[in-house]
Amino acid sequence: MHKGKGMKFVGDSRISAEKTSKIPKDYSEYPGRTEAFWPNFLLKEWLAGAVFLVGFLCLVLAHPSPLEGMADPTDAAYIPLPDWYFLFLYELLKYQFASGDWIILGILVIPGIAFGALLIAPFLDNGPGRRPRQRPVAVGMMLLALVSCIWLTYTSAAHVDWETRAEQNKPIPPGESVVDQDHPGFAAYENSCLSCHGGELEGGAGPALVGTEHTKEEIMDIAVNGIGAMPADQFQGTDEELEQLADFIIETSEAAGE
Amino acid sequence: MLQKIYDWIDDRIDITPIWRDIADHEVPEHVNPAHHFSAFVYCFGGLTFFVVVIQILSGMFLTMYYVPDIENAWQSVYYLQTEVAHAQIVRGMHHWGASVVIVMLLLHTLRVFFQGAYKKPRELNWMVGVLIFFVMLGLGFTGYLLPWDNKAYFATQVGLEIAEQVPFIGEALKTLLAGDATIVGAQTLTRFFAIHVFFLPGALFALLAIHFILIRRQGISGPL
Amino acid sequence: MSDEKRQVSRRQFLNYTLTGVGGFMAAGLLISPVRMAIDPVLKHDEGGDFANVGLEVSEITSDPQRVDWSVDQVDGWYESEVSRSAWVYRNDNDEIVAFSPVCKHLGCVVSWEGSDDYPDQYYCPCHDGRYYKDGVNVPGTPPLQPLDVYEQEERDGMLFLGNIRPHEEA
Repeated sequence: MHKGKGMKFVGDSRISAEKTSKIPKDYSEYPGRTEAFWPNFLLKEWLAGAVFLVGFLCLVLAHPSPLEGMADPTDAAYIPLPDWYFLFLYELLKYQFASGDWIILGILVIPGIAFGALLIAPFLDNGPGRRPRQRPVAVGMMLLALVSCIWLTYTSAAHVDWETRAEQNKPIPPGESVVDQDHPGFAAYENSCLSCHGGELEGGAGPALVGTEHTKEEIMDIAVNGIGAMPADQFQGTDEELEQLADFIIETSEAAGE
Repeated sequence: MLQKIYDWIDDRIDITPIWRDIADHEVPEHVNPAHHFSAFVYCFGGLTFFVVVIQILSGMFLTMYYVPDIENAWQSVYYLQTEVAHAQIVRGMHHWGASVVIVMLLLHTLRVFFQGAYKKPRELNWMVGVLIFFVMLGLGFTGYLLPWDNKAYFATQVGLEIAEQVPFIGEALKTLLAGDATIVGAQTLTRFFAIHVFFLPGALFALLAIHFILIRRQGISGPL
Repeated sequence: MSDEKRQVSRRQFLNYTLTGVGGFMAAGLLISPVRMAIDPVLKHDEGGDFANVGLEVSEITSDPQRVDWSVDQVDGWYESEVSRSAWVYRNDNDEIVAFSPVCKHLGCVVSWEGSDDYPDQYYCPCHDGRYYKDGVNVPGTPPLQPLDVYEQEERDGMLFLGNIRPHEEA
């Protein structure tokens, strides 16, 4: 660094008027087979980046990002699930020692210790050795944490039927409600079916009725006697109302299919 | 011509040393995959930054269409998904980028951990890195709500209820995040939008700058 | 000497490749976002959306009269009803002409005989802009172009107005 009097500046600024050489420094005495960062190594890095980008764009093109139906706070049948990288926390809170009276343990103590330890890891693992074998405790703890996170995420995700879930929560195009609320069968639908099959027949606790393959007679039978997980006697009314209900479901389903 | 413009600027603000410092360093053998293929693990940090750049770009463009308002948020996302050319790809980049950045960050963290690269004198940079990890998780959590679909709404509700369980400050914390003591709604959405688009990215840029400056100061850790 | 020359060209080659790869990455990153951003520019207006303005064609006289109607406007994801207005009259060739009331100077609203000083002219109160009955701007007043006209159509004796387009010079 030049200092003192006799220095020349550009105007009244602090920038030296004397040009330094633009020739790169000589690193030939640097040990090992080194390589200049610019442009040699950067080119390799960018080639790797370009390959990565192509892969990433393929992923994006192959899997359009999902969008579910507009948030409906009254939808009691919806089972919330966080994004995958929070699943391990979500699953942790299902364990007895991490919920109920022990909730503090689940939301503060365990994650707090884990992430706190991660933050101050250099001070906990402060020996001089860098090889994993030289610090078995730190490496062991990390492997344990890693395995538990993967295990928690896996158990959480394994419970979920992702395809049905995506199918049931498909967005309904705005302003295209197919439900004719003046239909004589709508009242019966609202009373008996809506809580499980949704206000737009899009499904919820029960399957979607839009695009149903059942005939009118079958629907009338299911409404009274149930099917699969659906209990019997969901519909309690006159035969005429039952017929209107089945008409309503079939007509709405057809209207939605158009 | 370009050279002249460069010289004109360089005369005045002396920019050569700035980029020379970045360009003129030698990359040692042990991090160069050309010499040892296993050195590809050193790529994870750079790729994480690359995905961050993707996130910033796609996010900037998405806000051209997105409205943080409970009436219109979902409508605008649905509109851009279905009506605007290539918007599905841009949203896809942002959506998948959010997952990929977490994966890359995790791999980078594990590389540094198992190599013991966080040991003296690099403790501070490790802590900055862990803070970046927290900021990323925060970005994931707040960004999740923005499309205002069922998944977003109910997952956020659960997240806020978890915050409420924190002893003593729980309720205040939930209200602070949600903007209202009981409702998850209009005020929550604007808050999450502001946090997602201004506060956390601001913190992220500052932390990234420190992270990179420290790397340039200390150089990359030596071979094992 | 020749060795040094080769050194330089190798460095240059690397720099060009670097620029190429960087450009590829930038293009890959930006192509979709930019296409999305410029989408409104490339979307062409279908036009031809005519709305009933609630005026019978037989009622249109050579005296300009103001009509107000509303149209359903779809603005991206936002649909709303906006009100429109026009000055409608029958010109000397017995053609119906509907002028947009938006002044071509700075976008104020003009009205027929809006000023007592200028009968038989459109008058804009903001900067005293004036137009003749055929929509042509009065020379010497602020507006530089004639009033825009609505595309129009007659259906079942009612007047339907569509999009606004520039006044064609007579």
